[in-house]
Amino acid sequence: MTSLKKNDFSVIGKPIAMIDSAGKVTGQGKYADDLSVPGMLIGKILHSHLPHALIKKIDASRALALDGVVTVVIGTDAPNTYGILPVGHDETALAVEKVRYVGDNVACVVAESESIAEAALELIDVEYEPLPAWFDPEDSMEAQANFIHEQRPNNIEKDYHHVFGDPDAGFAQADVVLEGRYIANEVTHAAMEPHCTLAAFEFDSHTGREGRLTVQSSTQVPYYLQHKLSIVLEMPMSQIRVIKPLVGGGFGGKSEIIPLEIIAAVAARKAKAPVKITYTREEVFLAHRGRPRTIIDLKTGVKKDGSITAVAAKVIQDGGAYCSYGVVTILYSGALLGALYDIPNIKYDGFRVLTNKPACGAMRGHGTVNVRFAFESQLDELAGKINMDPVSIRRKNLLKPPCITVNGLRVQSYGLPECIDVVARESKWAERRTKLGKGRGLGMACSHYVSGAASSIIRSDMPHSTVNIKIDRDGGVIIYTGASDIGQGSDTMVAQIAAEVLGCKMNRIKVVAADTDLTPVDIGSYSSRVTFMNGNATLRAAEDIKKRIVAAAALKMACAPEDVIMRDDLVYKKGVAPVAPKQENAPTVSGHVEGQILRGSVQQKRKDEGPKERMSFEEAVTAAMDNTGALGGTGSYAPPVEAKGGKHKGGGVGPSPAYSYSAQVADVTVDEETGEVTVNKIWAAHDCGRALNPVSVEGQVIGSVWMGLGQALQEEFVWKDGLLMNPSMLEYKSPSSTESPEIESFIVESIDPEGPFGAKEASEGSLAAAIPAISNAIYDAVGVRLRECPFSPERVLSAIRAKNGQKKIEMTNRVDPTAPHKMREHGGSTWYKGKGPQRHADDPSRKTTTEVPAAD
Amino acid sequence: MKKELIELKVNGRRHEVAIEPSKLLLDTLREDLGLTGSKRGCDDSSCGACTIQVDGVPMLSCTMVAASYQCDNGGNEITTVEGVAEHGALAAIQKAYGDWGGSQCGYCTPGFMMTVRALLERNPEPSDEEIRHSLSGNLCRCTGYTQMYQAIKAAIQAEQKGMAAGK
Amino acid sequence: MSLPTFKLLRPRTVEEAVGMLHRYQDDIQICAGGTDLLPSMKQRLFTPKFLMDIRGIDGLERIRVTPGLGVELGALTTLSAVEDSGFIHRHYPVLHEAVKTVASPILRNMGTMGGNICLDTRCLWYNQSLQWRKSCGFCIKKDGDLCHVAPGGKKCWAAFSADTPAALLCLSAEVNVASPSGFRRIAIADLYTNDGVNRIKLAKNEMITSIYLPEASAGYSGAYKKLRIRGSIDYPLAGVAVALKKKGKIVEDVKVAITGVNPAPHLVPDALHALVGRELNEHAATVVGELASRVAKPLTTSLLTPEYRREIIRVYTKRAVMAAGAAT
Repeated sequence: MTSLKKNDFSVIGKPIAMIDSAGKVTGQGKYADDLSVPGMLIGKILHSHLPHALIKKIDASRALALDGVVTVVIGTDAPNTYGILPVGHDETALAVEKVRYVGDNVACVVAESESIAEAALELIDVEYEPLPAWFDPEDSMEAQANFIHEQRPNNIEKDYHHVFGDPDAGFAQADVVLEGRYIANEVTHAAMEPHCTLAAFEFDSHTGREGRLTVQSSTQVPYYLQHKLSIVLEMPMSQIRVIKPLVGGGFGGKSEIIPLEIIAAVAARKAKAPVKITYTREEVFLAHRGRPRTIIDLKTGVKKDGSITAVAAKVIQDGGAYCSYGVVTILYSGALLGALYDIPNIKYDGFRVLTNKPACGAMRGHGTVNVRFAFESQLDELAGKINMDPVSIRRKNLLKPPCITVNGLRVQSYGLPECIDVVARESKWAERRTKLGKGRGLGMACSHYVSGAASSIIRSDMPHSTVNIKIDRDGGVIIYTGASDIGQGSDTMVAQIAAEVLGCKMNRIKVVAADTDLTPVDIGSYSSRVTFMNGNATLRAAEDIKKRIVAAAALKMACAPEDVIMRDDLVYKKGVAPVAPKQENAPTVSGHVEGQILRGSVQQKRKDEGPKERMSFEEAVTAAMDNTGALGGTGSYAPPVEAKGGKHKGGGVGPSPAYSYSAQVADVTVDEETGEVTVNKIWAAHDCGRALNPVSVEGQVIGSVWMGLGQALQEEFVWKDGLLMNPSMLEYKSPSSTESPEIESFIVESIDPEGPFGAKEASEGSLAAAIPAISNAIYDAVGVRLRECPFSPERVLSAIRAKNGQKKIEMTNRVDPTAPHKMREHGGSTWYKGKGPQRHADDPSRKTTTEVPAAD
Repeated sequence: MKKELIELKVNGRRHEVAIEPSKLLLDTLREDLGLTGSKRGCDDSSCGACTIQVDGVPMLSCTMVAASYQCDNGGNEITTVEGVAEHGALAAIQKAYGDWGGSQCGYCTPGFMMTVRALLERNPEPSDEEIRHSLSGNLCRCTGYTQMYQAIKAAIQAEQKGMAAGK
Repeated sequence: MSLPTFKLLRPRTVEEAVGMLHRYQDDIQICAGGTDLLPSMKQRLFTPKFLMDIRGIDGLERIRVTPGLGVELGALTTLSAVEDSGFIHRHYPVLHEAVKTVASPILRNMGTMGGNICLDTRCLWYNQSLQWRKSCGFCIKKDGDLCHVAPGGKKCWAAFSADTPAALLCLSAEVNVASPSGFRRIAIADLYTNDGVNRIKLAKNEMITSIYLPEASAGYSGAYKKLRIRGSIDYPLAGVAVALKKKGKIVEDVKVAITGVNPAPHLVPDALHALVGRELNEHAATVVGELASRVAKPLTTSLLTPEYRREIIRVYTKRAVMAAGAAT
C-alpha cells in the first residue's frame, strides 16, 4: 500500500472540504449548547472563592426557596472519586470536604432559567475554614503540613528520575557544557466553544423507574466520559450513552472529564429532569487543564563538531490542585527529550507538583512544548559557543532510522532532515541570516510529537480503535467510528480512507461518529492518535468488507479476486478499461437510475449473458449482498508490541508507533525601544507521513505554529495568590488577525510503514518549535537570550536595556527574563497571604508582608 | 421580571416573541427563535462568535438587548448566519470557507461569515491589508487566519466569475 | 452569562431622556452602544433598575459642520462613522488616528463617541465577575473598601482606558451636556476627576449630547500611539495623542495628551514650552517624552507592569511627536 505513488489514489492526498463544513458555514451544525430537549433545566455551578479551605457547612435553603429553583446539588450527592488517569482519581463531582483552588466546584443550582440559576447562586451560604495555600511549586514542595491532598505528602503528585546511557561520561566528553534555568508560563486552550453538557435520563419500561442516561457533551473522549460517569453515578456503562455533537475546538481542553460533565448528570438525576450546563468563559478558564507553568533546569553538552554528548533536565511543573493528566505530562517532558535528535545520554528528573490553582492537564503538544523551548534555545546557544550554524548543529545530530533511541523510542519514518532542508531553503537561511540589519533576525528550531501513545492510559489490552462499516442495498457506505471530530477533520479522514479502499465516491460515505450506543470503542481524540489509529482501523474495516465485494465481483467477472479492481465507483477486471466504450451497453443499474437497486440484481441476472468485464459499485455490492444480506466489516487497531518502549518505571509514556517531525524558521523584528516583537513570517515544514488531505494537514500545521506563537509572544496566565487575573478572552491574549503573521507551511511525506497510507501525526508536532524559533530569532536580532516565555514586550525590553547597560528600570516584577529564578506573580496586594479582606484574618499565612507597588 | 412581547425582523421574516426586557439578542435568537448559528464564546464582547448584522452592519448580538432592536420603520433588519445561503445553495464565501480550510472546528465561523459578507458587500475587491484588518474583531483559535484569507480570495474570484468557489 | 433584570426605557427625545435620568437618578444607566456597559452588567458591576437605551433619540448621530465654529459630533455618532469620515480625517487627523485604534471594527460599529468619552475606568481587580471579586473581598471601586493596586490609600486608581478622549484633549474639544434645566458646555479638559470611582463631572441627571471640535483646532497634524498586547480588541494600556502645528520648520503650537495610565486622560502641560518656537527634532521630542512619563502614574491595574507602561509613554510620546511633525 505505502509503496504506491501519490497519483495512484483517487481520494487520498486530495485537498477536499471537510464533510461537515456546510453545517459549520450555515449555522445548521449543532454544538452541545445548541441542543435542547423538552423539560430541560439549566444548571449553574457555585465555585469556591478561596484557594484552600475546609467546607464546614453548606446551606442552600435560601436558594431553594427562590421561585424557579428545582434543586441544589452538593458534593455528598455523588462523592465517588474519579480522574482521567487510573492513578489520579482525586476529583469529585462537587467538593466533598474541602476546596482546593479559587474556582473549585462547591454546589450546583438547577433552575428553570439561566438568570434564575445565577440569582440562586448568591443565595447559597457556605461556611469555610481557610487553610494555608500553596501557589508556587517550589514552595509547595517544601510543605510539611496542610497538604492539598492528604495522600500526596509534600504536595508532590509524582516524581520520576530516569537515567539513560551514562550522562556523567557524556558531559565529560563534551567540549562545551551549558546550564540554564528556563521558565515557561502557563497557557490554556481557549477553544472558542465553552464546554457544555446536556444530561437526560429516561424511564425504564420494565421497572417503571429511572433508566438509561444520555449525555451529550463537548468532549474529545466520549468513551472515557462514559466510563467515569459509570464510576460516579454507580451505573453500568451499558446504561449510559455518550454522544459527542460538533465540538468547537479542543486542543486537549476537552480530552478528560471536565467537572460540568459529571455535575450535569448528577444534577439531572437529582432534579429528575434533563439538565444542561454551559460554562461561562470564566468557568472555562477555571476548569483549565492547560499547559502548566514549568521550570526547566537544563544542561546540555556538545563536542566541537556539534554532536550532543549528554542532556540533563530537571523539570518542575506547577500542576494545580488535581492530578488530571499530570503524571503523563511530566513523563512526556522527559521521554520526548529523545526521538528528535540522536542523544546518547539522558538524565531526567521530573516533579509534578500540586498547588492551589486550577488543574493543569493536556494541551496541544502535551508535555513536550516547554522542555522543547528550553532545549532548542540552549542548542542555539551551544551552536554559538562552538561557532556553528544553528541549522548545521541540528543536521549534525540527526537520528539514523530505523532505530531505537537510548530511552526506548522506536523511530521508523523520519522526515526531519527534509523538513530542515525545506525551511532553510525557503527562508533563504544561509543568504539572509545575519544580513537583515539592526533589530531583525532569523531563528530556527525543530520539534516532534507522537502519533498516539503505544500504551493507552487505561492499562488494557483492548484495541485502541475499532471501526465498523455497513453497506446496504441503497449503495450507501456507513462508517461507524468512535473517533471524535473536534474540528481537526477526523470524520473526513475516515471517509477518505474508506472511499479509497472501497473505490467509491465520497458522496456514498456517511459517517456516524462518537456515539457510544452506535459506534465501537475508540479511546478518544488526544495525543494525535486518531489518523494513525482510527485511520488504520477504518482501513482494516474497509478491507474486510471489500474482500466480500471482491469475491462476489470475481465470480461475476470470472476472474481471480486478485484481479478485481474497485475504483472511482467502478469495479473491473485488471487490464480492462474502467469505463466501457460508448457502443457497449452501459451498466444496467447504477445509483442514479430510478433508485432501482432493489430490483437491480434481478434485472442484472436477466440481462447477463456470460461473464462481465466491469460493473458499477452498486452491482458489485448487490451481488455480494445477494449471498449475505447487508454487508458489515470490522477493523481495529492496537499498536504493535515493538512500539511500546522500555520497561522502566514510567516507560509507557513517550513510545508511539510513529513520530511526526517539524522544522521552522522565524523571521522577526524587535523594536529596541519598546521590546515589541513583530513576527514577519514563519516557514514551517512538517513530516506527517502522508498528507491524506493536504488542505487539512496545512490547516493543522499552521494552526499549531500559530498557537505556539501565541504562547511565545502574548498568551499567559497572570497570577496573584492563586487568583487568575485574566480569566477572559479580553485579557487572555489569543492573537487577533492583526498581529498573526504569514505562516507558510510545507508538507514533508516520509510515508510511515505502519500508518494508514503512510500517514502520521499532523496537528500537534509543529507547535513546540515555534516558541524557540522565535526566541532564537530574537537573539539573532538583538542579542538577548530570553529564558522565560512569553516574550512579552516588557520582558524583551528589560533584557535589551540590561544588555545595553541602560539605566535599570525594574519592569518585570523582579524576575529577570534572561535568568528567571522563580515564577512571576502579578503586582499589587497579596490578597490571600497578605493584607486581604477581613474574612481571611484567621489565615495562618497572613503574616507574609504586603508588597508595596513600586510605582505608588 | 415579567415578559414583554416584542417584534423582531430576522432574515427577512417577522417574529413576535415574549421575552424578559433584559434578555440579550443572542439568547433570544438562540432560545426563542431556534437560530443557534450565532454562538456565545466569551461573555465580554471580545470574541465575535455572536456576530450578526443589523441593517447590514456587523454587530455583537451578545452585547445587544433584544428589545432595543425591534423592527420599526424598515430599520433594525437583523441577519444571522442562517440567512446567508442564497437561492438554496451555499454563498460563495460559505463554499470557499469549506474548500480552503477557513473553518476547522467551525464555532467562530458564523461570526466570520457575517463579518466577511459585510466586508465584501462594502468593498468587493479588498486589499490583503483590508481583509486582515476587517477580520480583527473575530477571534479564531484553530486556523491562525491564514486559510481564511485564501478562502476569501477564492470567494471573491468565484463571485467575479459568477460561480461557486470550487478548488 | 445573563444580564441582571431591568426595565428598558427608550426615550425618543433628549428632554424625555434627561427627565428619566432625573426621576431615577441612582437606579438608571444610560446605554448607547453598550459595548462597555453590558459586559460590566453581566459581571454585576452595574445592576440598574432601569436601562435607558438612548439610540432612539433622533439627531444625536450626526456629524455637523458649521463654518466658522467647527464641527459637532452627536454623542451617538458611532466610532466607525467618525473613522470613515473624510472630513474628520482631513481636518482632525489626531481623532481619526485615535478612533481607528478603539477596540475592533465590530465594536466600533456599535460604540459611540459619547460612550467612549464616558467609558468607565478599568482595573484587573475590578473588571471581573461577581464570583471573582468575592475572592479578594471586592475593591474600593465596587462593593469593597480596599484598593488592591495601592492598598495603603483610600483612592481608586483604576485606569481611564478610552482612546479618543486623549485626541479630544489635543483638539480642545468641548462636550454639550443636557440636563432638565437645559444645556451647558464643558471643556473636555474639565470633564474628568482623576478619581477612579467618580471619574466624570456629570450630575446624575445629565448626559452628553454632542462633542464640539473647534475650528481653531482644525488643520493640526496628528498622531496617536496605543500600547496593547493584542493588535485589536484591546483597551489601551497606554496611549499618547499629539496634535501639532508648524510654520515652516518651527513648531507653532502643540498639544500632547496621554491616556490609559491614570484615572483620567491628561494633557502634558509642559509640552508646549518644550516645543513651541523651536525646530522639531528627535531631542526635543525626547524631552516631551520625559515630560509625559512624569505625568503618567500607572499602577498594577493591567497585565503589563506600571514601570513598563510609563516607559512606553515616554517612547510613544517621542514617536507620536515625531510622527505628527512629519505629517504636517
